[in-house]
Amino acid sequence: MLTIVLQQGINGIVFGSLYVLVALGLTLIYGVLVQINFAHADIVTIGAFAAYFFTFLFGGNYLVSIGIALMVGAALGWLVNATIFAPLRERGSELLPLIATIGVSILLQNAMLLWFGPIPYAFDSPYSNEVIRLGGGTFITWQNLIIIGVSAVTIALLYAFMKFTMMGKALRAVAQDRETAGLMGINPNQLIMLTFVIASALAGMGGAMLGPILVLTPFAGTSVIVKAFAIVIIGGFGNVEGTIIAGLAVGLVESFATQLVNPGLTDLIVFTLLLLMLAFRPTGLIAEKREENV
Amino acid sequence: MSSGGGLALADQSSNRRWWLLVAAVVIATLPLVFQDSYWRTNLIVCAINIMLAIGLDFILGYAGQLNLGHSAFYGIGAYASTLLIMKLGVPFWMAFVCAVVLSGAAGMALSIFAVRLRGHYLAIASLGFAVIVHQVLLNWISLTQGPLGIYAIKPPPDIALPGLPVISFGNTANMFYLVAAFAFLFYLLLDQLVRSPIGETLTAIREDEVSAASFGINCTAWKVFAFGVGSAIAGAAGAFYASFVGTLVPDAFIITESFTILAMVIVGGMGTLIGPVWGAILLTVLPELLRGFGDLRLVLYGAALTLVVLFMPGGLVQAVQILRARFGLLRAAGDAGMRR
Repeated sequence: MLTIVLQQGINGIVFGSLYVLVALGLTLIYGVLVQINFAHADIVTIGAFAAYFFTFLFGGNYLVSIGIALMVGAALGWLVNATIFAPLRERGSELLPLIATIGVSILLQNAMLLWFGPIPYAFDSPYSNEVIRLGGGTFITWQNLIIIGVSAVTIALLYAFMKFTMMGKALRAVAQDRETAGLMGINPNQLIMLTFVIASALAGMGGAMLGPILVLTPFAGTSVIVKAFAIVIIGGFGNVEGTIIAGLAVGLVESFATQLVNPGLTDLIVFTLLLLMLAFRPTGLIAEKREENV
Repeated sequence: MSSGGGLALADQSSNRRWWLLVAAVVIATLPLVFQDSYWRTNLIVCAINIMLAIGLDFILGYAGQLNLGHSAFYGIGAYASTLLIMKLGVPFWMAFVCAVVLSGAAGMALSIFAVRLRGHYLAIASLGFAVIVHQVLLNWISLTQGPLGIYAIKPPPDIALPGLPVISFGNTANMFYLVAAFAFLFYLLLDQLVRSPIGETLTAIREDEVSAASFGINCTAWKVFAFGVGSAIAGAAGAFYASFVGTLVPDAFIITESFTILAMVIVGGMGTLIGPVWGAILLTVLPELLRGFGDLRLVLYGAALTLVVLFMPGGLVQAVQILRARFGLLRAAGDAGMRR
């Protein structure tokens, strides 16, 4: 029993750290822009496909492919902001950008479906089958170790960037009050673009690491993104620490629900949690002064 | 949100009754023009989509609430009516009424539940609700048979009036008349609602909830009301869908379906009633015409949704207004495709 608990704990942290990578992007964008990017899901998927094609068509190294996916994600983030959010920002509508990115998402998913087909791609990372035995009968694959390691380093770097660099401070300033930040000589448009690039780079990278442990289809990102939405709400929209905690928590809940209840019910449990959270504590785990939408 | 194009249009509709008559005549003649079962099927799907689109538009375009869970109410209507008929032997029309009431109640429940939430939070709460409903349909196998689906659902019962031939709904023309009649009825109902003070109340809440509340409007009650009406109509659409298609699987009501309905509303023109009607027709028929180009249907939906939001946020209705203004074709407006 203890072995099972430990093993599911490890699996939960693996998925949880990937959810954190994806959800952090959403939360960063919400922080500076108070907008939701639905196409975030497809940046995850495209990141996964980029890594797949880099490793299997061009024989590239898997670890390098994570970097490639990161760059592809960053480029897509730039594109989404430049074409959708920046033009719509001038109109000052609350919901139109969200609806436009739903359109982008439908478009990208189905374009990928036409090109890549509905049959799942077998994205076998060379690290998926190499196992490290841990004490008490538990084990971890190298792939999962890479996922936890890369995610942890990335999240730590991002956290340090936000806390200690000038640009990170400027970013938080824009998130708090865009107009005042502008008066202090910060160019909010540049920082919004920077946020999109960072957020989408995280998503692309997350995709590259999710590819080998998920079923890789054009809809792979969507299954992750709906959970990421749940995570940002449970963690509190725009709240980085809350998102990290909620992401790991959802990964663990899911993992234990799979083991103890029924794999088919995991989404049900996660979303019931989401609705309960919305009903009783809509500010998220860590309350922040963000009352406009609640 | 919308450019207020709906109000301008509403003012011009002095000859509205005449246009409603034209619409009724068009509905009556359509099955005579399209005799083959393929196009008649498309006609029925069109009528169902029109119901879904105007219901969502009432919630989104008039009450200003971004509901991404419309597929859930559609699914609740479809499964509720079918299960009542097949498991409990309830007559079709009673099951139909129950399905409408149940979907409406589900919409009101979600709205009451999410009453403190606005904008993006409501969008995600309704999305979560749709995911939950889909998962329940998928996993409650003893009731819904899960992914295996329910088969051999009968069409609505025949109507036998004394002195007239029996009307059977196995006939696609009759089925179309039935569904279209209900779509027309719901359109008239919503049309009356949005022209009444209720419509103005909802618009006031949409534009500025705080000011609306300061005028003594009970915003919560009206938002719940709009959600209830919109989702009840989706429930009716679901009941017709089940009895027309004859099979039900949970995947007919995945969240993508919500996005599809959203695309119809936006492309047609959110915040007007006639817009979503044209949006539903266009996005149902156009993909069928483009069938030769492979499975482009959803690519087209996505592209249309994005481009309309970016370049023509008032949708088809705005496009027609621009065309009218440019060519001064005020009198020939009907030919331009605006039936009012």
